Amino acid sequence: MAQDDDLAKLIIGCKDGSNECFSQIVDMYANRCYGYFYRLTGNHDLSDELLSELFVKLVEKIGSYKGGSFEGWLFRIAANLFHDHLRGKQRRKKLIEARQGQIESDSRAPAKAEDERIDRLQIQLQRLDTDTRELILLRYYSQMSFKEIARMRSEPIGTTLAKAHRGLKKLRQLMEG
Amino acid sequence: MDDRNQENLRALLASFFDAEQVDRYAEDFQQAEQVLHKHPAPEPDDRLIANIKAEIALSLSRRRVKRFRRRLYEAAGIAAAVAILAIVSLQFSEKSTKQPGNADYTASLLPTALWESDDIAADDADLAVFTAEIEQIEYEIRTLESGEDITENETTVTELEMELAEINTDFWKG
Repeated sequence: MAQDDDLAKLIIGCKDGSNECFSQIVDMYANRCYGYFYRLTGNHDLSDELLSELFVKLVEKIGSYKGGSFEGWLFRIAANLFHDHLRGKQRRKKLIEARQGQIESDSRAPAKAEDERIDRLQIQLQRLDTDTRELILLRYYSQMSFKEIARMRSEPIGTTLAKAHRGLKKLRQLMEG
Repeated sequence: MDDRNQENLRALLASFFDAEQVDRYAEDFQQAEQVLHKHPAPEPDDRLIANIKAEIALSLSRRRVKRFRRRLYEAAGIAAAVAILAIVSLQFSEKSTKQPGNADYTASLLPTALWESDDIAADDADLAVFTAEIEQIEYEIRTLESGEDITENETTVTELEMELAEINTDFWKG
């Protein structure tokens, strides 16, 4: 509850144009949002770009936030950014090229064992269809409830639950296999 | 990463599935999310975060300047509106204080005589004469310029032009 109050104060500060409040919001959400983008794209540069765009959009759109789940609102912007990215032909081309060159070019990769583990999950995630992958990652990184996710995706909650269950089960099988 | 809505998941599943399925589904969700938990995504670079914060600061300062300008323009607009209103109301008050019958204004383009005349037939006749003269002179000028009448010289053209200008002026003066 106290956390919610703090967040509400930060959001009010952001609406008033406080640089400090925006910085705190960045600190609070950058990791989760970056993880979301990275797991969707599998690319560091692209995730960097999307994360920057996300916070620029946050500054532009904070005035339109009218309460409710802030995570839900923020991740909706993140999901829209990812969709915009997918729609852009040039960016898509860049993504494919970057994916191809990712293994040999990533100089910021973590230690080898961790890197292999990350890549394994990344590879298995790519084997899921885009919609299921997005759903699973949205659920995990945004920490939104299924109700909120279903509302955001404009689909019945039963459909969201069934899709998420099917996707997560398949992911687990792929990781175990 | 623990899901803050985890405690409601069973209740939610119970509204769609039977008790046995709820247990199975809940377990599947839990185990699969643990897979994601065990494989954390990389974190953003510190430089990236610093760049984002710098970009936000820049964007905020730009927004402040924009807001200031907008307020300035609004104030200027209001001041202009007030000034126009004051001028218009001043004119109205001046007009209302003047005595009736004091005609200060005349038409600037039409001759006063024509403007004030009620004899439409006579005015039309004058207009027809002027128009005919103008057309005649224009015709003569064209003839001279096209070189058909080589006996005349440039002085004649100038004279005709001056005559045309004079007629025009006379016409508008009435």
